[in-house]
Order: sequence, then structure tokens, then C-alpha cells
Amino acid sequence: MDMLDLSLAELHQALVEKKTTPLELTKEAIARAKANSDNAFEYINEEGALAFAATLTEPEADNPLWGIPYVAKDNFSTKGIPTTASSNILNGYVPVFDATVIQKLKDAKAVMIAKATMDELAMGGTGTTGHLGITYNPYDPSHQHEIGGSSCGSAVSVADGIVPFALGSDTGDSVRKPASFAGLVGTKPTWGRISRYGLFPFAPSLDHVGYFTRDVYSAAVLLDVLAGRDENDSTSSTRPVEKYESKMNEPIAGKKIAVIQEIYDSLADETLLKAFNHSLDVLKEQGAIIDFVSMDSTLLESLYPTYMVISCAEATSNDANLDGIKFGPYRGGKTYQEVMFNARNEGFSELIKRRFVIGSYCLMRENQEELFLRAQRNRAKIVESVNAILKDHDAIYLAAAPSVAPRFDQSSDRLSDEYLMADNHLCLGNFAGLPSITLPLGFENGLPLGVNFMTGAFQETLLFQLAAAFERASGLAELSVRNPKEGNL
Amino acid sequence: MNFEAVIGLEIHVQQKTKSKMFSSAPNGFSRDPNTQVAPLDMAFPGTMPVVNKQAVINAIRVANALHMTIDHTLYFDRKNYFYSDLPKGFQITQQARPIGKNGYVYVEVPGGKKRIGIERIHMEEDTCKQEHFMDYTLMDYNRAGVPLCEIVSLPEISNGTEAREYAEAIRNIVVYTGTSDGKMEEGSLRCDTNVSIRPYGQKEFGTKVEIKNINSFKNIELAIDYEIARQSRLLLSGEKVRQETRRWDEGSGKTVLMRVKTDAVDYKYFCEPNIPPIHLSDDFVQNAIDTCPELYDAKKERYLAMGLSRSDAEIILSDPKMAAYFEAGVPFVQNAKDLANYLIVEVNTYLNKEGVAIQDFALSPKTLGEIITGQEKDGLSHKQCVDILNYVLANSVSPKEAKEALHIVAQVSDSNVILKFVTDVLDQNPKSIADYKAGNQRVLGFLVGQVMKASHGKVNPAEVSKTLQEEIKKR
Amino acid sequence: MKTITKEVLQDAANRLLFTMSDEQYDTLMGEFKILTKQMAIIGEIPDLGNYEPMTFPFDCTTSYLREDVPVAPLTREEALKNAGNKQDGQIKLPKVVG
Repeated sequence: MDMLDLSLAELHQALVEKKTTPLELTKEAIARAKANSDNAFEYINEEGALAFAATLTEPEADNPLWGIPYVAKDNFSTKGIPTTASSNILNGYVPVFDATVIQKLKDAKAVMIAKATMDELAMGGTGTTGHLGITYNPYDPSHQHEIGGSSCGSAVSVADGIVPFALGSDTGDSVRKPASFAGLVGTKPTWGRISRYGLFPFAPSLDHVGYFTRDVYSAAVLLDVLAGRDENDSTSSTRPVEKYESKMNEPIAGKKIAVIQEIYDSLADETLLKAFNHSLDVLKEQGAIIDFVSMDSTLLESLYPTYMVISCAEATSNDANLDGIKFGPYRGGKTYQEVMFNARNEGFSELIKRRFVIGSYCLMRENQEELFLRAQRNRAKIVESVNAILKDHDAIYLAAAPSVAPRFDQSSDRLSDEYLMADNHLCLGNFAGLPSITLPLGFENGLPLGVNFMTGAFQETLLFQLAAAFERASGLAELSVRNPKEGNL
Repeated sequence: MNFEAVIGLEIHVQQKTKSKMFSSAPNGFSRDPNTQVAPLDMAFPGTMPVVNKQAVINAIRVANALHMTIDHTLYFDRKNYFYSDLPKGFQITQQARPIGKNGYVYVEVPGGKKRIGIERIHMEEDTCKQEHFMDYTLMDYNRAGVPLCEIVSLPEISNGTEAREYAEAIRNIVVYTGTSDGKMEEGSLRCDTNVSIRPYGQKEFGTKVEIKNINSFKNIELAIDYEIARQSRLLLSGEKVRQETRRWDEGSGKTVLMRVKTDAVDYKYFCEPNIPPIHLSDDFVQNAIDTCPELYDAKKERYLAMGLSRSDAEIILSDPKMAAYFEAGVPFVQNAKDLANYLIVEVNTYLNKEGVAIQDFALSPKTLGEIITGQEKDGLSHKQCVDILNYVLANSVSPKEAKEALHIVAQVSDSNVILKFVTDVLDQNPKSIADYKAGNQRVLGFLVGQVMKASHGKVNPAEVSKTLQEEIKKR
Repeated sequence: MKTITKEVLQDAANRLLFTMSDEQYDTLMGEFKILTKQMAIIGEIPDLGNYEPMTFPFDCTTSYLREDVPVAPLTREEALKNAGNKQDGQIKLPKVVG
């Protein structure tokens, strides 16, 4: 086992004890990134990362991220480093400023080794729609299964043991769903807890900075660094940042955990059900109180259309800045309209265009009330229902996905009439802006299964407390393709 | 048939804050294109808007001056459309919840004052500036994101003069609240007008025509009056007024068709998700109002009370920098009216001749006051004081030094001194006394001249004339 | 609500400054059929009208306003380095008419 397969805490210890150096780690991470065959990277920041790592010579014992290599999804603005959001319309774009999270990680002396592939402009959930093509699930060397999206490359980077953590973004479930398919810890804190400044927007009212790690401890200490008020993001919270790992070792006896009956009932996968039920028993053994609660099924069935309408509407506006004039490929034209048309027509894939038309249609004056505003009203009702559950419970606990990662031939990015509650419930956390974490549960035919906890707004410390208890029970901390485990559930 | 015009004005005011509406880039005139630009102003992906406090304070002050209801929670919306000068593909504005609603302003009309209702004032951001050449356009993003206030009147204006006066009233408010330079010629105040006409007594509005590109207050009046006449001619000849956008062509003094309006543009407004609702506390709003600089109307009242004529007060107030200079100088003169006269005539002449703005005027208000008091209490004539002023300006010396260099001495008004000179002159000129008594008035001028000569110009000629007449009567 | 026809969708696409293949419009028609059906079901939720349209996931009302203090802007080189067509320190476009 190489250094990179250590946990973040162990790696930090090794760095402090000078058993390895940031430069060695960075070289190893870049070598692993280059060896990866899952199409996970837009850009490997070899020169920049090595140069920065070489400057890190004095270990900082109280800084758990010092000298740690990481990967960022390609929708974080990185000064001087190409950033495309996996869309042709941004080919060649080199930002002039760093996203706040990128700056914070730089200040913490973490080393960004690469920008990861994603679904184009983060508008997809399959990891198949980026301009570099399909990103594969490293748990399947035959490349038959998706990794999920939109933060596909980031998920691969951590699952394949290339880096201990990777930044992603989560608008519907874009960190937490791929985390489930990749056997990872996928975290999305409260909306406003981490600055979004420099994150290319998909749908700002739902967008969150999230990240992948291989254990709960890393997730908590990473939030210690990333959380906080940022005056460049008006929506960032002024609440004090906590020591999010502080309750990780506390027992969870007496904690009330809600399982939404309707979503549970929609699970059909036997292996998943068995493991999930087992996990409920284990949580109970630790003294947690498990409550099956009901949520209106019409409301649960409305999650996806509501999400589609709101996210597409916001996206069509956010991405109106992509016109080839100020940045991105300039494709010429006889009039300014032609210039913009040529850039957009060539730059967006068909899927993106369809989503924009949907969003634009929902915002049209004569359609707003019945589509956009109706979706926004329904969001309010959904959020009220979720918060009602959390009023009486510490957390909501569910399977993160209805199955292991789907095969490519089973999945589609088209809107479909087939509706699976268990496939779409993670967006509850985006509608309500609640902290939510996906954790590995077990395996089916060698592919990971995952669960998800969600707590009330700004209750990340509680979230990590529950997640840590679960992790101890599952035995799946530090899981990666290079560090296979079976787990206890 | 007689028609009644229905006119509404939409006025955009560029705010002269130090930074932009939603970014921290400097907001200031720069000749160097694209040097006052933050990432947000170029709409780089991932940038986010953060609302400028001073822009909000300014909007509150203007709303208050316009007697509006001020919303204590700010919401912003996106106005979505594609245009070359709109970097983000949307403009952040306040569609649903303007910061101010339901206000009014008074304008002078023949026989009194008329109240013009104001629908709303809201904050938004400017677009980038386009410079057009023969076959291409160059884009300067310095202007992108400059804070704007848009003030929308109700359609309660009836003619060009009222419209001009309304626009001037708005200008006076935005200038004296410190919000804007309010200069139409420079584009810091822009005015779009909507004009329709209908037969008197008809309730329904006629077809609305929008006029753009008006670049001075005078032209507001001209453009509207032209447009009313044009629409009247159309209707009288049995034609219809088309719904269209026209522009004012200053050269020909006409409005010219820009485009025929089809269906109204759908801007697909929705609430800006990157700006949370912003609560303005009562204290914040009240403080913005309480610290608002004195407004135009209040200043004007005060100037009138100081003895200035209405027209002098208006001339001084037409430039806030002139008004500031005036107010700084008032403590140094005996009579504010004298200061106003010097500013309006002598100082303005000098400034115009030298091409200097009042804020760059070399003379401090105190020094100018010192010169003016020479006339007010030291017995110098107006001409002598003007000579001193010009000498001071030409030679950069003190008024005292100028006075010495020009050998200017104060005129004597002491009646005993004057009487002595008068008596001497009358004694030497008995024929003149006889001529005067015989009805030759002109001889008085000769006698005054003799006294002035004898006294080396030291005595006050008006006093001399008076004393001469009294003394002649006694003889 | 506007009736969804291929022409309406083509017009919407054109206004968004792109076009799509016929096949894509057909796919989109199918997606709209599903979406509007689902949204109609949502429309039948009896008390939906009692809810205000939600933009922010929870009450995040703030009193923060940025102080009016300018910070150093981008250099012109930075501002323009990503623009594909420029001249004399400005971005260049074909002549913009009205």
C-alpha cells in the first residue's frame, strides 16, 4: 500500500513526521491520475501542482490539509488554469480569478493536481454528457457501468485512490448520487455554508459546493476549512464555523432517525433492502430510535418535475453569459446576433439545448404561473413537509439510490415517465438546502451501494456524528478500488 | 378635433458611487476602455452580485425626496434578454419589489403648480458602452455594472413643457441628493418618453409611441411637442398612430422612426437567486434620510430668504458646485445678494472665458468675500472692486496687494469733508449756479466732475451730487 | 399556457440563439408532454395556491450591504485575455445596429 492509500489523518501524520513530502505525494497522485483509464480529467495541473508542492517544506502540524493533493470539478474557477465545465462553449477559457473554495484550499496548502470531468455544465446525472465523452466507474474495468454525475471525474479521482478528496457540486444529487455509485462519502452541507463564489452556476437556488472523501473524518475537517462567510457570495451564511468533527466519537443513543416509508417502499433491489434493513438494526443497537414516517406520495412523485422546471429555468438564465464574446471560442458572424448564435449553436450539446428550451418555456410570461411559479410553490410545500419531519427527528435516513450504478444501456438523460422515488429523493436536500451525506453501505456484484443521512439546516456537526457512527458500523471507511473491503452490513 | 396628450417619462440616472452596483470595480469616468472592470462586469462564470450600500442609500434619499413609500426589504430580479451590450445575458433589476413606490413631484404650470405622480423607483445596473464605427463596434465594459436608478412617472404629463419641468425636477433631486451628476448631455441622466394622444373626453389611451435618444432637457420639450403635433396630424388626416419606437433627431428637429413594435418583449423575469432578501432597518432608512444633503427646493427657499431673486437663485442652483461655492462665501459678505451678483456676472464671465469649472476657481470664497466687502462697507465702487478682482485673478496676489498696486482708495462719504469740497467748487463757479437755476441740469455733472477732480476721486460721487443740489438751493 | 408545437419550440430555441435538429425537437416534444402532464398533476394539489413561490431554501434574509469602497479592478489584459475578437483594448463585434 502506498502513502496515497492512507487515510487523510494518517497521511497528515506521515507528512508531519516527514515520512513523505507534498512533492512526493503530488508526483504519486499525478502518476495515478495519468494511469487512470476512466476519462476522469479535463486537465492535469502537473506543472503548477509540482511547483506549488515543491514550496511546501515546513509541515504544519495543526493543518490537516497541508500538502494534501486534491482534485476539483471543472466548474470551479481556477486562475490561470483552463476551466470548461466540460462544455465546448468554454473551450480555451482560462479564468482570471480563483473560486473562494479554491483560494481557501490554496491557503491551506492543499495541492490541486487536476480538474475533473463532469456532465456538461453540471446538467446531467450520468457522467456521460461532458465534451470529452463518457466517464467510467472504476469499480467496473469493463466500462459497462456509469459512475453517475454530474461530478463524475471527481468521484473517480477519490474512488480510484488518486487523491484523498475532490471538490464537486451538487444541485440535485450531483455529489451524493455518484458517491453512492463509487463507494464514497459524499457531502453537501447547508445552502450558504460554503461560498459558491467561483462555482459556475447551474441553478443557484439549488447549487451547493460538495465534495468526496473516503471517510467521515475527512469530510468534517474539510468543512472546517471550506465553510464560512464570504463577502463575494451574498448568500453565504454569517453563522460561526464549528469544529465539525467535534462530536464524531459521541454515541448516538437517543437520536431519532426518520425513514420515509414511501421511499423505503419503492426499493426493489433485494441486496440493497437486506443491507439497508441490517443497517437499521445496527443503528437501533447503538440506541438510535428509528421511526418510519409518511410523506405525501404525490409530493414525492412531484420532486423530479419540480426540480426540472426550477433548475432548467435558472440555468437558461445563468448560461446566457455564454455567447462567445467575452470568453469561449469566437466563431465569427456577420452581425452580433450571428456571433452569439454561432458560439451557442456550436458550443452547446443537444441535451443542454433541450434543457434551455424547457427552462425558457417555463419562464415565458404566459407559462410562468403554471410552470415556473407552480414549481416554486410546490418547492415551498415540499420543504415544509421535510422540515416537519425534521422537527421531530434528528435526521432522515434513506438509501442514497435504488441500486448500484446503472449500466450505460439502462440509463438516459431524457425525461421519462418511469418514475422511481428512490432515484430522485436526494434533491429534497437541495430544495430545503439541508446538509446531507452519502456513505457506502455495501456491495452488489462488486459495485457499491450507498445510504444517505440528512439533518436540519446548519446541523452539520450532528450529521457527521451520525455518519461517523454509521461508518464505524459499516466498516467501510477508506474504501477505494485500491483498498477493497467487504464491510459489515 | 382637439387632442389631449398623455405622456409618461422613464428616467435612468447613473449613480456616482465610488464602486459599481454589484461589483467592487471603481465607478468613475475613465478614458481608458476596460480598465475599470471586475470579473462580474465581464460576466465571468462563477461571479456573484453583492449590493452596494451607497447605491441603496442614494435610492432611499431620492425615493424620500419624491415622497415615495420605501420598501424595507430589497429583492432583485433578473430581466433576461440577449444583446451585445449586456454581458450576463440578463440585467439585475427590481421588477417585482421596487425600493420606492407611489410618489409625486410638483412642476410649475401657468397659474400654479401641478402634481405629477411617480409610479416607482428601482435600482439596476448599466450595460457596457458601445462605440460604433463604419463596419464594426467596439465594447467598453467600464460602464457595465454602474448603478442606475430608474424613475418611472405615471402618464400624467400633458405637454412638452411639463415634461421638461418634470425631468428638471428629477434632475434637481438626483443632483442635490448626491446621487448623480444628472447630465443629459453626458448620459448620466437618460430620458425615454411615451407619448400618446386622445380626443378630449375619451377615457381610453391612444396608441403609445416611445421616443428615445433625447440628449438635453430642452429637447425633451421639443421632441414631445413635435410628436404631439405629428400624431395629431395623423389622426386628423384619418390615419392611425402606429405603436413604434422613434428617436429624436436634433439636426432636423424631428422624431424619426427607429422600429415598429410588434408584441411586447418577454423578459422572463424571475427573482435573482444570488441575492438574498435584504432587510433595511428603520434606523438605516431614517439615517439615510436624515443625512441626506439639503435638497434643491430647500436651498432655493433659503436663497430667496437671503434676498436673492428667483432667477438668481435658479442660476446659482443650476450647478451644485456653484451653489456650494456660494454657500461657502456667504459668511464672508454682508449681503448674499452681492455675492450672487458677482458669481453670476463677474465670476461666470471669467470661468467661461478661461474654460475653468467653479470647483477649480483659483479664488477661495473667503477671498472673493473680502473683495466684495470692499464695496459693501469700505466705500469702494463696484468698478473698483471688479478691477481688484481681475487684478487678483491675473496676478495671483491678495486683494490688499491689488488695491495698492491699482492705487485704489476708498471714497469718502463723510458729509463734512464733502461739504468742504462742494463749497469750494461752488464759490469758484458762480456762473454754473446761475445756469443750473436757469434750468440747465447738465451743469450739475460738470460741478460733480470738478469736486471729484479737486478731491482726486476720493469722495462718493452720489453723495457729492446730493450735497451740490442742496447747497445750490441755499444760494 | 402556450400550446406546445414544434414551431413554438423552434422559436424558443431561436430566441436562445441556437437551433436543433428535427429529431431533437421531436425528443423535446416528448419531454414536454411528460413534463406538462406532471406539472398538471402538481397543479391539482389543493392547497398549493397558499404557498408563496420559493426561491431561497429557507429564510436567509440579511442586512448586509457592501461598503462603497472600490477595489483594484482587473488589468485590461486580464479582462480581455479570453475574448476572441478585440482591437485597441476593446472587444470587437460586427457593427451593432439598433
